[in-house]
Amino acid sequence: MTATMTRAKTPAAAPGTPARVRSNIARTPRTFYWMVVPAVVIFFALHTIPVLSGMFFSLTNYAGYGTWDLVGFSNYINLFQDDRVLNSYGFTFGFAIVSTILVNVIALAIALGLNSKIKFQAAFRGVFFIPYVLAILIIGYVFNYLFANSFPAIFTALGLPGLSGNLLASPDFAWVGIVITTVWQAAAFNVILYLAGLQTISADLYEAAAIDGASGWRRFRSITFPLIGAYFTINMVLSFKSFLQVFDQIVALTAGGPGTSTESIALVIFRGGFQGGEYGYQMANAVVYLFVIIIVSFLQLRILQRREASFS
Amino acid sequence: MTDTLTQTTAPLPGEPDAPTRAPRTRRRLDGGNGGTNWWLTALIAVCSLTVLIPLYFTVVTALKTPDQLGGTGFELPTSIRWENFADAYQLTNFPRALMNTALITVGAVFLTLLTNSLVAYAIARNMHKRFFKGLYFYFLAAIFVPFPIIMLPVVKETALLGLDTPVGLVLLYTVYGLSFNIFIFVAYINSIPVELEEAARLDGASTWTVFWKVIFPLLSPMNATVGILTCVWAWNDFLLPLVVLSDPSAQTLPLAQFIFQGQFNTNYPVAFASYLMALAPLLVVYVIAQKWVVSGVTRGSVK
Amino acid sequence: MTTPRTTFHPRPRRRRARAMVVAAAALVALSGCSAGAGDVVTLNFFQFKPEAVGNFSAIIKDFEAANPGIRVSQNSVPDPDTAIRTLLVKDKVPDVLTLNVNGNYGELARACIFADLGENPVAETVKPAVQDIVQSLGTCSTDSADEVNALPFASNASGILYNPDIFAANDVQVPTTWTELVAAADTFQANGVSPFFCTMKDSWTANPAFVNLGGTLMPDGFFDTLREESTSGAGTVSFAEDFAEAADKEATLFEYCQDNFASRDYNAGNKAFADGESAMYLQGSYAIPAIRANNPDAAIGSFPYPVTDDADARVVVSGVDVGIMIGRDTPHAAEAQKFVDYLMSPEVVTAYSEAQSTFSPLKDAAPNSDPALAGLEPYFSAGTIIGFIDHQIPAAVPLVNLLQTLVITGDTETFLADLDSEWGKVAARTTTQRQGK
Repeated sequence: MTATMTRAKTPAAAPGTPARVRSNIARTPRTFYWMVVPAVVIFFALHTIPVLSGMFFSLTNYAGYGTWDLVGFSNYINLFQDDRVLNSYGFTFGFAIVSTILVNVIALAIALGLNSKIKFQAAFRGVFFIPYVLAILIIGYVFNYLFANSFPAIFTALGLPGLSGNLLASPDFAWVGIVITTVWQAAAFNVILYLAGLQTISADLYEAAAIDGASGWRRFRSITFPLIGAYFTINMVLSFKSFLQVFDQIVALTAGGPGTSTESIALVIFRGGFQGGEYGYQMANAVVYLFVIIIVSFLQLRILQRREASFS
Repeated sequence: MTDTLTQTTAPLPGEPDAPTRAPRTRRRLDGGNGGTNWWLTALIAVCSLTVLIPLYFTVVTALKTPDQLGGTGFELPTSIRWENFADAYQLTNFPRALMNTALITVGAVFLTLLTNSLVAYAIARNMHKRFFKGLYFYFLAAIFVPFPIIMLPVVKETALLGLDTPVGLVLLYTVYGLSFNIFIFVAYINSIPVELEEAARLDGASTWTVFWKVIFPLLSPMNATVGILTCVWAWNDFLLPLVVLSDPSAQTLPLAQFIFQGQFNTNYPVAFASYLMALAPLLVVYVIAQKWVVSGVTRGSVK
Repeated sequence: MTTPRTTFHPRPRRRRARAMVVAAAALVALSGCSAGAGDVVTLNFFQFKPEAVGNFSAIIKDFEAANPGIRVSQNSVPDPDTAIRTLLVKDKVPDVLTLNVNGNYGELARACIFADLGENPVAETVKPAVQDIVQSLGTCSTDSADEVNALPFASNASGILYNPDIFAANDVQVPTTWTELVAAADTFQANGVSPFFCTMKDSWTANPAFVNLGGTLMPDGFFDTLREESTSGAGTVSFAEDFAEAADKEATLFEYCQDNFASRDYNAGNKAFADGESAMYLQGSYAIPAIRANNPDAAIGSFPYPVTDDADARVVVSGVDVGIMIGRDTPHAAEAQKFVDYLMSPEVVTAYSEAQSTFSPLKDAAPNSDPALAGLEPYFSAGTIIGFIDHQIPAAVPLVNLLQTLVITGDTETFLADLDSEWGKVAARTTTQRQGK
């Protein structure tokens, strides 16, 4: 196919043999260029230039306003000595790992349930998808109130005073509250995706397995999971990537506290760089963050795809 | 890395039967052996309560007077105070914020559908050329760029270009959505047989005409997906409008909720009434168009 | 070196782009772009206090009535810290601003964002002790002299608020020494009354006590020495050495908090104190309007922190709650000046201070007659005031977060060590940056 398409700029009005008809697509390349070039220019202006200037300012002591000097790589050197930044990486990774696993496990379980022979399937599916359309910031405000007032009151009423504190006020467990809120909101989308994957599996396969006497768990291991492996991979990678960028729900729930125990990387960059006047320094942080995301996504794809292959 | 992404998504549903869109998803719902699994139904019902309870809580809180707030907060209101909504309406300047959010969202959805599909079409049909293949990866790479790195330069640039307005936001959503949308559009367009276009070309149609008359209509399932994703993103986004918009009268709904986070006295029922009013429009749209939304997302399930 | 502005497009381009945008979007019409409307000048007035929008609307109304050629557009945003920074990044400094005069203000002033108001006659009407606090935070220094970049409009005072009814019912006198304060807290606790209502869900609420304790107990010139030594590395002063007593006393005070104090937020605290749930409240004058919003008849008194056992050593920590600035490059300098003169007129300042329970920073002002402030007023009038020490600490040091951890865990050693290490790291990062004063 590709061989015939490389010929460009022959007159468009000359239909010929079937083989030549195919090459028509390549015959009006200029139009195709017109289709992409404006987009490329605007994308370059509004995305690539900001990325490059962000990277450039990571080599300066720019505060976000006023004058600045080049400082070489000292921002990067300081970065690796800054335990607040290192802690934020620790918190963000821990949060992203736990949330990714929980979201995917819960979403897959719900999708399996929804895909079984249950009543009111469409209605339940509609309900589980609701959180997707709700703003995580506002959900965060609502959960903030629940954690601060309602849950303590419920646990006190149940005679469990040990659990009657505000989860978000505990330096050791505030992250759990953030995970709960995140999972509540993020599971919705993954439920739908897994459901889509499950519905591609032919019922015949299960019937055959049932005749062979395979148990539910075996059916899941040997039929369902391998067949939706692609969904699993992509969901894991994309949810992990977006959880590494967690920001809105932390603003709404803990604002990074208590202490600095729930400061995510994005929050540290925003606070230090935007509100704290250390823009250059935090840009160095952002550049490191960028490479971390790329490397992690790449590794994850590699590992998950290998595993997926071993299932089938 | 991106190569592997495309491979992964190749066998996903919706693509093989793209132009025909056979509704094969229903198959396992009713048919098959045996009756309804009631235990599972009960279990799913209990699970769905975790979704509904916080929503119920938001609604009852929004209806209470401040002195009814004690306790667990799940009690039904003893007397309903509708004025909470009126107060919230005033405090957040609701009609203006709603208007701003709606205009930004609608603008972003339209511009995204019109432009992103076009770019994806040009790329998909020229993937064999280095320039277009390079562009594909160029756009795709942006998926991995975290927002903070571009935030301040974008703020500066949009202000210089006079784009620190709702119009600028529409443009930003369109441009930043490009990465991901190209990814799904290209995978889909690849599944559309080239022969369909060729018939039109034989009639003398230009590439533009081919796109608008032949390809764009075939893209409607993907357009639904991209439209929903863009809509939810633009409607609920917080950080971009916070830093880009200069004029306070251009405030969007999520920004307007910030007024309840100040260091002055918070009236929780009014705040919750306001949250509810901010969430409601999208929720109502979703409830009305639920089937369409879910199937739209399902079809574009490469995400 | 160069400013980064030059990397982007030149100005004419920008106008054209803006014109297109205006034409494209009917929205912008709502935004009040009254550029060419007759001879009326519109001042963009950035007002950072959401709770004072009503007060300023009234002030603006009067001003506009007296000055028909000037309109003032009040711009009050929910998140002023971020908003002012983004406006700076956008090169859109407002014509007239109000800001809390804190460390952030100091950084902006050093970056020469604000006009010099030193020549303005109204600068002469301000109490020198108050203006000194403003100047100490930083100014845009030229070769000849330090500029005056902000005029104080309203001052606050941090002390301990107390409920006179509860004090009387338990037969407790207002404490004047540290020993008496601890004894009073013990008495309340023994009588089943909560001594303090603490609100540690909001980390900043640990700060008022700390600035009083630390500000009184630290050696003179501590921060100047610390800043000098961060480059030389001499290490004669440190938080671990010089703030140990303050940290201990901070931890002691917070031992008297109610149960679940880590879960409660500032709003809950204002309501609880208004309802008489605690005898004392570790907040300053700025909390009084919020308390009264919950209960207009709340019983409120105030007294300065008895930090040591020397009753005569008591001082009041006072900050400039609202400072007024003019954008350095405003095209409407004369009109802005007129508006600032009006804002600084004694009637306006006094009216505001009564409405918002603040102190007037003007020399000839009558004492604030609010009974809730009676315990602090004499110190303010006499100028026995010190600034907020947290304003001396760069914003990049997460002071309030560290304080929050301190009062929850009671671990003073970790707190002091963290504070020293954060200070050191930030100093190492910014030594090349701070050329201003």
